[in-house]
Amino acid sequence: MSENYVLAKSSEAAITENGACGGAVSSIFQYLLANDIVDGVLTLSKGEDVYDGIPRFVTDPAEILETCGSLHCAPTMVADLVSKYLSDKRVAVATKPCDAKGINELVKRHRIDPEKIITVGLNCGGTVIPETAQQMIEKFYDVDPSKVVKEEIDKGQFIIELEDGSEKGIKIDDLEEQGYGRRTNCQRCNLKVPRNADIACGKWGSEPGWTFIEINSEKGQEIVDGAKSEGFIETKGPSEKAIEIRSKVEGIMIKMGKRFQNTQFEDNYLSAEEWKEQWNKCIKCFACRDVCPICWCNECELEKEYFKDSEDSAPDPLGFQGVRLSHMSFSCINCGQCEDVCPMEIPVSKIYHKLQCVYNDLTGYEAGLGDEKPPLYSPQKENF
Amino acid sequence: MAEDVKIVGFCCNWCCYGGADTAGTARMQYPPNVRIIRVMCSGRINPSLIFKAFREGADGVFVGGCHIGDCHYDAGNYKWNRRALITKAIIKEFGIDEERFRFEWISASEGENSKEQ
Repeated sequence: MSENYVLAKSSEAAITENGACGGAVSSIFQYLLANDIVDGVLTLSKGEDVYDGIPRFVTDPAEILETCGSLHCAPTMVADLVSKYLSDKRVAVATKPCDAKGINELVKRHRIDPEKIITVGLNCGGTVIPETAQQMIEKFYDVDPSKVVKEEIDKGQFIIELEDGSEKGIKIDDLEEQGYGRRTNCQRCNLKVPRNADIACGKWGSEPGWTFIEINSEKGQEIVDGAKSEGFIETKGPSEKAIEIRSKVEGIMIKMGKRFQNTQFEDNYLSAEEWKEQWNKCIKCFACRDVCPICWCNECELEKEYFKDSEDSAPDPLGFQGVRLSHMSFSCINCGQCEDVCPMEIPVSKIYHKLQCVYNDLTGYEAGLGDEKPPLYSPQKENF
Repeated sequence: MAEDVKIVGFCCNWCCYGGADTAGTARMQYPPNVRIIRVMCSGRINPSLIFKAFREGADGVFVGGCHIGDCHYDAGNYKWNRRALITKAIIKEFGIDEERFRFEWISASEGENSKEQ
Protein backbone atom coordinates (compact mmCIF):
# COMPACT_ATOMS: atom_id res chain seq x y z
CA MET A 1 0.00 0.00 0.00
CA SER A 2 2.93 2.32 0.57
CA GLU A 3 2.92 3.52 -3.05
CA ASN A 4 -0.38 5.21 -2.25
CA TYR A 5 1.33 7.51 0.19
CA VAL A 6 3.25 10.54 -0.87
CA LEU A 7 4.61 13.65 0.79
CA ALA A 8 4.09 16.81 -1.22
CA LYS A 9 4.71 20.50 -0.97
CA SER A 10 4.01 23.48 -3.13
CA SER A 11 6.75 24.64 -5.44
CA GLU A 12 5.66 28.22 -4.99
CA ALA A 13 7.01 29.98 -1.91
CA ALA A 14 3.97 32.24 -1.48
CA ILE A 15 1.70 29.26 -1.04
CA THR A 16 4.00 27.37 1.26
CA GLU A 17 3.92 30.32 3.65
CA ASN A 18 0.18 30.87 3.48
CA GLY A 19 -1.24 27.38 3.25
CA ALA A 20 -1.38 24.82 6.00
CA CYS A 21 1.68 22.54 6.02
CA GLY A 22 3.25 22.72 2.62
CA GLY A 23 0.31 24.13 0.70
CA ALA A 24 0.14 21.11 -1.58
CA VAL A 25 -3.65 21.33 -1.68
CA SER A 26 -3.61 24.89 -2.96
CA SER A 27 -1.04 24.01 -5.60
CA ILE A 28 -3.06 21.03 -6.75
CA PHE A 29 -6.07 23.31 -7.13
CA GLN A 30 -3.96 25.77 -9.13
CA TYR A 31 -2.76 22.96 -11.34
CA LEU A 32 -6.34 21.81 -11.98
CA LEU A 33 -7.46 25.33 -12.86
CA ALA A 34 -4.44 26.28 -14.94
CA ASN A 35 -4.70 23.13 -17.05
CA ASP A 36 -8.46 23.49 -17.48
CA ILE A 37 -9.13 20.15 -15.87
CA VAL A 38 -11.90 21.78 -13.87
CA ASP A 39 -14.04 24.89 -14.40
CA GLY A 40 -13.67 25.95 -10.83
CA VAL A 41 -12.73 25.04 -7.32
CA LEU A 42 -15.16 25.08 -4.43
CA THR A 43 -13.37 25.85 -1.24
CA LEU A 44 -13.67 27.83 1.93
CA SER A 45 -12.39 31.32 2.34
CA LYS A 46 -12.05 33.27 5.50
CA GLY A 47 -14.81 35.74 6.22
CA GLU A 48 -14.48 38.41 8.86
CA ASP A 49 -12.51 36.28 11.28
CA VAL A 50 -11.52 32.67 11.92
CA TYR A 51 -15.08 31.88 13.00
CA ASP A 52 -16.51 32.76 9.64
CA GLY A 53 -15.98 30.50 6.66
CA ILE A 54 -17.58 31.32 3.34
CA PRO A 55 -17.83 28.69 0.61
CA ARG A 56 -16.38 30.20 -2.51
CA PHE A 57 -16.26 29.06 -6.10
CA VAL A 58 -12.89 30.09 -7.46
CA THR A 59 -12.21 30.11 -11.19
CA ASP A 60 -8.99 32.10 -11.29
CA PRO A 61 -5.84 30.22 -10.19
CA ALA A 62 -4.42 33.39 -8.66
CA GLU A 63 -7.36 33.67 -6.27
CA ILE A 64 -6.64 30.28 -4.73
CA LEU A 65 -4.12 32.01 -2.51
CA GLU A 66 -6.91 33.86 -0.73
CA THR A 67 -8.50 30.64 0.41
CA CYS A 68 -5.57 28.88 2.05
CA GLY A 69 -5.67 27.53 5.55
CA SER A 70 -8.06 25.48 7.59
CA LEU A 71 -11.06 26.71 9.51
CA HIS A 72 -12.15 24.40 12.30
CA CYS A 73 -14.59 26.86 13.77
CA ALA A 74 -16.71 27.27 10.68
CA PRO A 75 -18.47 23.99 9.99
CA THR A 76 -19.91 23.87 6.50
CA MET A 77 -21.31 21.26 4.16
CA VAL A 78 -20.41 21.43 0.51
CA ALA A 79 -22.09 18.31 -0.90
CA ASP A 80 -25.48 19.93 -1.43
CA LEU A 81 -23.87 23.10 -2.77
CA VAL A 82 -22.30 21.05 -5.54
CA SER A 83 -25.52 19.26 -6.42
CA LYS A 84 -27.73 22.33 -6.22
CA TYR A 85 -25.66 25.02 -7.82
CA LEU A 86 -22.67 23.52 -9.59
CA SER A 87 -24.06 20.41 -11.22
CA ASP A 88 -23.37 21.70 -14.73
CA LYS A 89 -19.71 22.46 -14.04
CA ARG A 90 -16.59 20.42 -13.64
CA VAL A 91 -15.52 21.13 -10.10
CA ALA A 92 -12.76 20.28 -7.74
CA VAL A 93 -13.76 20.57 -4.14
CA ALA A 94 -11.97 20.56 -0.82
CA THR A 95 -13.80 18.16 1.45
CA LYS A 96 -13.85 17.09 5.04
CA PRO A 97 -14.57 13.39 5.43
CA CYS A 98 -18.28 14.10 5.95
CA ASP A 99 -18.40 16.33 2.85
CA ALA A 100 -16.86 13.49 0.87
CA LYS A 101 -19.46 11.13 2.34
CA GLY A 102 -22.22 13.51 1.32
CA ILE A 103 -20.88 13.73 -2.21
CA ASN A 104 -20.62 9.95 -2.33
CA GLU A 105 -24.26 9.57 -1.26
CA LEU A 106 -25.42 12.17 -3.78
CA VAL A 107 -23.50 10.42 -6.54
CA LYS A 108 -25.37 7.24 -5.61
CA ARG A 109 -28.60 9.23 -5.93
CA HIS A 110 -27.57 10.59 -9.35
CA ARG A 111 -27.51 14.16 -8.06
CA ILE A 112 -23.82 14.62 -8.79
CA ASP A 113 -22.03 13.36 -11.85
CA PRO A 114 -18.96 11.45 -10.65
CA GLU A 115 -17.20 12.27 -13.95
CA LYS A 116 -17.38 15.96 -13.22
CA ILE A 117 -16.14 16.10 -9.68
CA ILE A 118 -12.73 15.82 -8.11
CA THR A 119 -12.66 15.56 -4.35
CA VAL A 120 -9.59 16.67 -2.49
CA GLY A 121 -10.09 15.36 1.01
CA LEU A 122 -8.68 16.99 4.10
CA ASN A 123 -8.06 15.02 7.26
CA CYS A 124 -10.33 16.24 9.97
CA GLY A 125 -10.23 15.88 13.70
CA GLY A 126 -13.52 17.65 14.20
CA THR A 127 -15.07 21.07 13.99
CA VAL A 128 -16.32 23.55 16.56
CA ILE A 129 -19.43 25.71 16.45
CA PRO A 130 -18.32 29.33 16.08
CA GLU A 131 -20.26 30.56 19.11
CA THR A 132 -18.96 27.73 21.28
CA ALA A 133 -15.43 28.45 20.09
CA GLN A 134 -15.67 32.09 21.04
CA GLN A 135 -17.14 31.38 24.48
CA MET A 136 -14.58 28.70 25.06
CA ILE A 137 -11.64 30.89 24.08
CA GLU A 138 -12.84 33.61 26.40
CA LYS A 139 -13.49 31.28 29.30
CA PHE A 140 -10.63 28.80 29.20
CA TYR A 141 -7.91 30.62 27.30
CA ASP A 142 -8.61 34.01 28.81
CA VAL A 143 -8.13 35.57 25.41
CA ASP A 144 -10.24 37.96 23.42
CA PRO A 145 -11.70 35.73 20.66
CA SER A 146 -11.25 38.44 18.04
CA LYS A 147 -7.48 38.41 18.63
CA VAL A 148 -7.15 34.83 17.45
CA VAL A 149 -5.63 34.60 13.97
CA LYS A 150 -5.39 30.87 13.58
CA GLU A 151 -6.69 27.76 15.27
CA GLU A 152 -5.66 24.16 15.04
CA ILE A 153 -6.62 20.79 16.42
CA ASP A 154 -3.52 18.74 16.98
CA LYS A 155 -2.26 16.05 19.33
CA GLY A 156 -5.51 16.06 21.28
CA GLN A 157 -5.33 19.78 21.86
CA PHE A 158 -7.27 22.74 20.59
CA ILE A 159 -4.58 25.29 19.82
CA ILE A 160 -5.07 28.95 19.12
CA GLU A 161 -2.51 31.33 17.66
CA LEU A 162 -2.58 35.01 18.52
CA GLU A 163 -1.58 38.05 16.50
CA ASP A 164 1.81 38.19 18.16
CA GLY A 165 2.56 34.62 17.12
CA SER A 166 2.17 33.06 20.56
CA GLU A 167 0.27 29.80 20.84
CA LYS A 168 -1.96 28.40 23.53
CA GLY A 169 -3.37 24.89 23.68
CA ILE A 170 -5.78 23.08 25.97
CA LYS A 171 -6.64 19.40 25.85
CA ILE A 172 -9.84 18.78 23.95
CA ASP A 173 -10.92 16.13 26.44
CA ASP A 174 -10.92 18.69 29.23
CA LEU A 175 -12.91 21.14 27.16
CA GLU A 176 -15.42 18.54 26.11
CA GLU A 177 -15.95 17.32 29.63
CA GLN A 178 -17.33 20.74 30.41
CA GLY A 179 -19.60 20.85 27.42
CA TYR A 180 -17.36 22.82 25.09
CA GLY A 181 -15.02 21.62 22.37
CA ARG A 182 -16.02 19.93 19.18
CA ARG A 183 -19.56 19.50 17.94
CA THR A 184 -21.16 16.38 19.35
CA ASN A 185 -21.45 14.74 15.94
CA CYS A 186 -17.73 15.35 15.36
CA GLN A 187 -17.02 13.69 18.70
CA ARG A 188 -18.85 10.60 17.45
CA CYS A 189 -17.25 10.62 14.01
CA ASN A 190 -15.08 7.66 13.08
CA LEU A 191 -13.89 8.75 9.66
CA LYS A 192 -10.93 11.04 10.10
CA VAL A 193 -9.05 10.38 6.89
CA PRO A 194 -11.35 10.83 3.89
CA ARG A 195 -10.50 7.65 2.00
CA ASN A 196 -13.73 8.14 0.06
CA ALA A 197 -12.24 11.21 -1.63
CA ASP A 198 -9.83 11.02 -4.57
CA ILE A 199 -6.93 12.09 -2.41
CA ALA A 200 -6.74 12.58 1.33
CA CYS A 201 -4.39 15.31 2.49
CA GLY A 202 -3.27 16.27 5.92
CA LYS A 203 -0.38 16.83 8.19
CA TRP A 204 -0.55 13.72 10.35
CA GLY A 205 2.72 11.92 9.82
CA SER A 206 4.18 14.61 7.61
CA GLU A 207 7.38 16.57 8.13
CA PRO A 208 7.20 20.31 8.74
CA GLY A 209 6.53 22.07 5.47
CA TRP A 210 5.12 18.98 3.76
CA THR A 211 1.63 17.63 3.24
CA PHE A 212 0.95 13.95 3.65
CA ILE A 213 -1.22 12.72 0.79
CA GLU A 214 -2.95 9.39 0.54
CA ILE A 215 -4.09 8.54 -2.98
CA ASN A 216 -7.39 6.70 -3.01
CA SER A 217 -8.38 6.47 -6.65
CA GLU A 218 -7.01 6.40 -10.16
CA LYS A 219 -8.22 9.92 -10.63
CA GLY A 220 -6.31 10.94 -7.54
CA GLN A 221 -3.14 9.34 -8.89
CA GLU A 222 -3.52 11.20 -12.20
CA ILE A 223 -3.91 14.51 -10.42
CA VAL A 224 -0.86 14.08 -8.22
CA ASP A 225 1.25 12.85 -11.16
CA GLY A 226 0.00 15.72 -13.32
CA ALA A 227 0.63 18.39 -10.72
CA LYS A 228 4.12 17.00 -10.23
CA SER A 229 5.07 16.87 -13.90
CA GLU A 230 3.71 20.38 -14.47
CA GLY A 231 5.91 21.60 -11.63
CA PHE A 232 3.18 22.69 -9.24
CA ILE A 233 4.22 20.39 -6.42
CA GLU A 234 7.32 18.56 -5.33
CA THR A 235 6.88 15.09 -3.95
CA LYS A 236 8.84 12.48 -2.06
CA GLY A 237 8.06 9.19 -0.44
CA PRO A 238 7.25 9.23 3.26
CA SER A 239 9.39 7.26 5.67
CA GLU A 240 8.08 4.10 7.32
CA LYS A 241 8.01 5.99 10.56
CA ALA A 242 5.85 8.76 9.13
CA ILE A 243 3.29 6.25 7.95
CA GLU A 244 3.33 4.62 11.32
CA ILE A 245 2.80 7.91 13.14
CA ARG A 246 -0.05 8.77 10.84
CA SER A 247 -1.89 5.52 11.34
CA LYS A 248 -1.33 5.82 15.05
CA VAL A 249 -2.87 9.31 15.19
CA GLU A 250 -5.78 8.08 13.11
CA GLY A 251 -6.20 5.03 15.30
CA ILE A 252 -6.38 7.12 18.44
CA MET A 253 -8.92 9.47 16.88
CA ILE A 254 -11.12 6.62 15.70
CA LYS A 255 -10.97 4.99 19.10
CA MET A 256 -12.07 8.26 20.65
CA GLY A 257 -14.94 8.47 18.18
CA LYS A 258 -16.08 4.96 19.04
CA ARG A 259 -15.92 5.76 22.72
CA PHE A 260 -18.06 8.84 22.22
CA GLN A 261 -20.51 6.79 20.19
CA ASN A 262 -20.89 4.45 23.12
CA THR A 263 -21.37 7.16 25.69
CA GLN A 264 -23.71 9.24 23.55
CA PHE A 265 -25.81 6.37 22.21
CA GLU A 266 -25.95 4.21 25.28
CA ASP A 267 -24.94 5.73 28.58
CA ASN A 268 -26.15 9.27 27.98
CA TYR A 269 -28.80 8.54 25.39
CA LEU A 270 -32.06 10.38 25.86
CA SER A 271 -34.89 8.36 27.35
CA ALA A 272 -38.23 8.05 25.59
CA GLU A 273 -39.60 10.71 27.93
CA GLU A 274 -36.76 13.09 27.21
CA TRP A 275 -37.16 12.60 23.50
CA LYS A 276 -40.85 13.36 23.82
CA GLU A 277 -39.98 16.60 25.51
CA GLN A 278 -37.51 17.43 22.77
CA TRP A 279 -39.99 16.69 19.97
CA ASN A 280 -42.54 18.90 21.69
CA LYS A 281 -40.21 21.82 21.11
CA CYS A 282 -40.34 21.34 17.34
CA ILE A 283 -41.80 24.30 15.48
CA LYS A 284 -41.80 22.47 12.15
CA CYS A 285 -39.62 25.01 10.38
CA PHE A 286 -38.21 22.29 8.09
CA ALA A 287 -34.70 23.64 8.61
CA CYS A 288 -33.33 20.18 9.34
CA ARG A 289 -34.80 18.87 6.12
CA ASP A 290 -33.68 21.83 4.04
CA VAL A 291 -30.10 21.67 5.24
CA CYS A 292 -29.76 17.90 4.99
CA PRO A 293 -27.41 17.05 2.14
CA ILE A 294 -29.07 13.67 1.63
CA CYS A 295 -32.63 15.06 1.35
CA TRP A 296 -33.16 16.29 -2.17
CA CYS A 297 -36.72 15.39 -3.31
CA ASN A 298 -38.43 18.16 -5.23
CA GLU A 299 -41.74 17.25 -3.67
CA CYS A 300 -41.34 16.42 -0.03
CA GLU A 301 -43.69 13.91 1.45
CA LEU A 302 -43.77 15.88 4.67
CA GLU A 303 -45.69 18.63 2.92
CA LYS A 304 -48.31 16.28 1.56
CA GLU A 305 -51.88 16.79 2.67
CA TYR A 306 -52.00 13.56 4.63
CA PHE A 307 -49.14 14.57 6.87
CA LYS A 308 -50.43 18.06 7.66
CA ASP A 309 -50.62 18.77 11.37
CA SER A 310 -52.64 21.43 13.06
CA GLU A 311 -50.77 24.71 13.10
CA ASP A 312 -50.78 25.27 16.83
CA SER A 313 -49.13 22.14 18.13
CA ALA A 314 -45.83 20.40 17.65
CA PRO A 315 -45.92 17.89 14.81
CA ASP A 316 -46.37 14.23 15.56
CA PRO A 317 -42.79 12.99 15.91
CA LEU A 318 -43.45 9.78 14.02
CA GLY A 319 -45.20 11.63 11.22
CA PHE A 320 -42.43 14.18 10.90
CA GLN A 321 -39.05 12.96 12.09
CA GLY A 322 -40.13 9.36 11.59
CA VAL A 323 -40.83 9.96 7.93
CA ARG A 324 -37.56 11.83 7.51
CA LEU A 325 -35.76 9.01 9.26
CA SER A 326 -37.29 6.42 6.98
CA HIS A 327 -36.23 8.44 3.96
CA MET A 328 -32.62 9.11 4.76
CA SER A 329 -31.39 7.81 8.11
CA PHE A 330 -29.79 4.75 6.50
CA SER A 331 -27.63 7.19 4.54
CA CYS A 332 -27.00 9.66 7.36
CA ILE A 333 -23.44 10.90 7.03
CA ASN A 334 -23.38 12.41 10.51
CA CYS A 335 -22.52 15.91 9.28
CA GLY A 336 -24.47 17.42 12.16
CA GLN A 337 -25.98 20.20 10.06
CA CYS A 338 -29.54 19.38 11.18
CA GLU A 339 -28.59 19.92 14.77
CA ASP A 340 -26.66 23.10 14.00
CA VAL A 341 -29.56 24.79 12.27
CA CYS A 342 -32.33 23.68 14.62
CA PRO A 343 -33.68 26.89 16.18
CA MET A 344 -35.10 24.90 19.09
CA GLU A 345 -31.83 23.08 19.73
CA ILE A 346 -33.24 19.60 19.46
CA PRO A 347 -30.35 17.11 19.27
CA VAL A 348 -31.64 15.71 15.98
CA SER A 349 -28.36 14.46 14.58
CA LYS A 350 -28.15 12.01 17.45
CA ILE A 351 -31.19 10.02 16.38
CA TYR A 352 -30.23 10.09 12.71
CA HIS A 353 -26.70 8.93 13.30
CA LYS A 354 -27.91 6.30 15.75
CA LEU A 355 -30.30 4.91 13.18
CA GLN A 356 -27.53 4.75 10.60
CA CYS A 357 -25.43 2.82 13.12
CA VAL A 358 -28.35 0.47 13.76
CA TYR A 359 -28.79 0.05 10.02
CA ASN A 360 -25.09 -0.58 9.66
CA ASP A 361 -25.32 -3.35 12.25
CA LEU A 362 -28.30 -4.89 10.49
CA THR A 363 -27.06 -4.75 6.92
CA GLY A 364 -23.40 -3.77 6.97
CA TYR A 365 -24.08 -0.63 4.99
CA GLU A 366 -21.98 2.33 6.07
CA ALA A 367 -23.17 5.62 4.62
CA GLY A 368 -20.92 7.55 2.28
CA LEU A 369 -18.33 4.88 1.57
CA GLY A 370 -17.81 2.64 -1.42
CA ASP A 371 -19.80 2.38 -4.64
CA GLU A 372 -22.64 0.25 -3.40
CA LYS A 373 -26.03 1.82 -2.95
CA PRO A 374 -27.96 1.49 0.29
CA PRO A 375 -29.56 -1.98 0.38
CA LEU A 376 -32.94 -0.26 0.69
CA TYR A 377 -32.63 0.77 -2.95
CA SER A 378 -31.45 -2.58 -4.14
CA PRO A 379 -33.66 -4.52 -6.57
CA GLN A 380 -31.88 -7.72 -5.61
CA LYS A 381 -33.70 -10.69 -4.16
CA GLU A 382 -31.81 -11.05 -0.97
CA ASN A 383 -32.79 -11.18 2.63
CA PHE A 384 -31.29 -9.84 5.78
CA MET B 1 -58.38 -10.12 22.21
CA ALA B 2 -59.73 -6.97 23.78
CA GLU B 3 -62.69 -5.54 21.88
CA ASP B 4 -61.58 -1.94 21.76
CA VAL B 5 -58.26 -2.58 20.09
CA LYS B 6 -57.89 -1.22 16.59
CA ILE B 7 -55.62 -2.97 14.19
CA VAL B 8 -54.86 -1.90 10.66
CA GLY B 9 -53.96 -4.77 8.41
CA PHE B 10 -52.32 -4.17 5.07
CA CYS B 11 -52.82 -7.24 2.95
CA CYS B 12 -51.27 -8.15 -0.34
CA ASN B 13 -53.92 -8.76 -2.98
CA TRP B 14 -52.41 -12.02 -4.14
CA CYS B 15 -51.67 -13.84 -0.93
CA CYS B 16 -52.72 -12.38 2.37
CA TYR B 17 -55.95 -10.82 1.13
CA GLY B 18 -56.74 -14.07 -0.61
CA GLY B 19 -55.95 -15.80 2.65
CA ALA B 20 -58.39 -13.60 4.55
CA ASP B 21 -60.94 -14.35 1.86
CA THR B 22 -60.38 -18.07 2.27
CA ALA B 23 -60.88 -17.65 5.99
CA GLY B 24 -64.16 -15.87 5.22
CA THR B 25 -65.51 -18.47 2.80
CA ALA B 26 -64.56 -21.21 5.20
CA ARG B 27 -66.57 -19.27 7.81
CA MET B 28 -63.66 -19.13 10.16
CA GLN B 29 -64.00 -16.61 12.95
CA TYR B 30 -61.59 -13.75 12.95
CA PRO B 31 -61.43 -10.73 15.20
CA PRO B 32 -63.71 -7.87 14.11
CA ASN B 33 -61.26 -5.18 15.06
CA VAL B 34 -58.88 -5.75 12.21
CA ARG B 35 -59.45 -3.21 9.45
CA ILE B 36 -58.08 -4.73 6.34
CA ILE B 37 -56.67 -2.56 3.60
CA ARG B 38 -55.97 -4.32 0.34
CA VAL B 39 -52.81 -3.33 -1.48
CA MET B 40 -51.56 -4.82 -4.70
CA CYS B 41 -48.24 -5.89 -3.22
CA SER B 42 -46.45 -5.63 0.07
CA GLY B 43 -43.78 -3.86 -1.95
CA ARG B 44 -46.19 -0.96 -2.20
CA ILE B 45 -46.04 -0.35 1.53
CA ASN B 46 -43.62 2.24 2.72
CA PRO B 47 -42.77 3.26 6.26
CA SER B 48 -44.89 6.41 5.93
CA LEU B 49 -48.05 4.31 5.65
CA ILE B 50 -47.22 2.53 8.87
CA PHE B 51 -46.43 5.80 10.64
CA LYS B 52 -49.63 7.33 9.38
CA ALA B 53 -51.61 4.40 10.75
CA PHE B 54 -50.03 4.82 14.17
CA ARG B 55 -50.53 8.55 14.01
CA GLU B 56 -54.21 8.11 13.34
CA GLY B 57 -54.50 6.03 16.45
CA ALA B 58 -54.04 2.43 15.39
CA ASP B 59 -53.08 0.18 18.26
CA GLY B 60 -51.38 -2.22 15.97
CA VAL B 61 -50.30 -2.42 12.37
CA PHE B 62 -50.01 -5.64 10.49
CA VAL B 63 -48.59 -6.21 7.04
CA GLY B 64 -49.09 -9.47 5.23
CA GLY B 65 -47.24 -10.32 2.09
CA CYS B 66 -46.50 -13.37 -0.02
CA HIS B 67 -43.97 -15.91 1.09
CA ILE B 68 -40.45 -15.03 0.08
CA GLY B 69 -40.00 -16.25 -3.48
CA ASP B 70 -43.73 -16.25 -4.25
CA CYS B 71 -44.21 -12.57 -5.02
CA HIS B 72 -46.62 -11.95 -7.87
CA TYR B 73 -44.36 -9.11 -8.97
CA ASP B 74 -41.18 -11.08 -8.54
CA ALA B 75 -39.41 -9.16 -5.79
CA GLY B 76 -41.91 -6.87 -4.06
CA ASN B 77 -41.81 -8.69 -0.76
CA TYR B 78 -38.01 -8.55 -0.64
CA LYS B 79 -38.24 -4.80 -0.98
CA TRP B 80 -40.85 -4.59 1.74
CA ASN B 81 -38.75 -6.80 3.94
CA ARG B 82 -35.89 -4.32 3.71
CA ARG B 83 -38.21 -1.43 4.49
CA ALA B 84 -39.85 -3.32 7.35
CA LEU B 85 -36.48 -3.70 8.97
CA ILE B 86 -35.86 0.02 9.15
CA THR B 87 -39.49 0.73 10.04
CA LYS B 88 -39.12 -1.48 13.05
CA ALA B 89 -35.93 0.27 14.10
CA ILE B 90 -37.57 3.67 13.76
CA ILE B 91 -40.78 3.02 15.69
CA LYS B 92 -38.67 1.69 18.52
CA GLU B 93 -36.96 5.07 18.75
CA PHE B 94 -40.31 6.77 19.22
CA GLY B 95 -41.35 4.65 22.14
CA ILE B 96 -43.73 2.38 20.28
CA ASP B 97 -43.64 -1.20 21.40
CA GLU B 98 -42.20 -3.40 18.66
CA GLU B 99 -45.02 -5.83 19.28
CA ARG B 100 -47.47 -3.35 17.83
CA PHE B 101 -45.97 -3.65 14.40
CA ARG B 102 -45.93 -7.01 12.69
CA PHE B 103 -45.26 -8.30 9.26
CA GLU B 104 -45.68 -11.82 8.09
CA TRP B 105 -45.76 -13.94 4.98
CA ILE B 106 -49.09 -15.60 4.42
CA SER B 107 -50.28 -17.45 1.33
CA ALA B 108 -53.82 -17.58 -0.04
CA SER B 109 -54.37 -21.14 1.08
CA GLU B 110 -53.56 -20.40 4.69
CA GLY B 111 -56.78 -19.21 6.28
CA GLU B 112 -54.83 -16.52 8.04
CA ASN B 113 -55.19 -15.51 11.61
CA SER B 114 -53.29 -15.10 14.84
CA LYS B 115 -52.95 -11.38 15.18
CA GLU B 116 -51.62 -9.42 18.08
CA GLN B 117 -52.45 -9.68 21.72
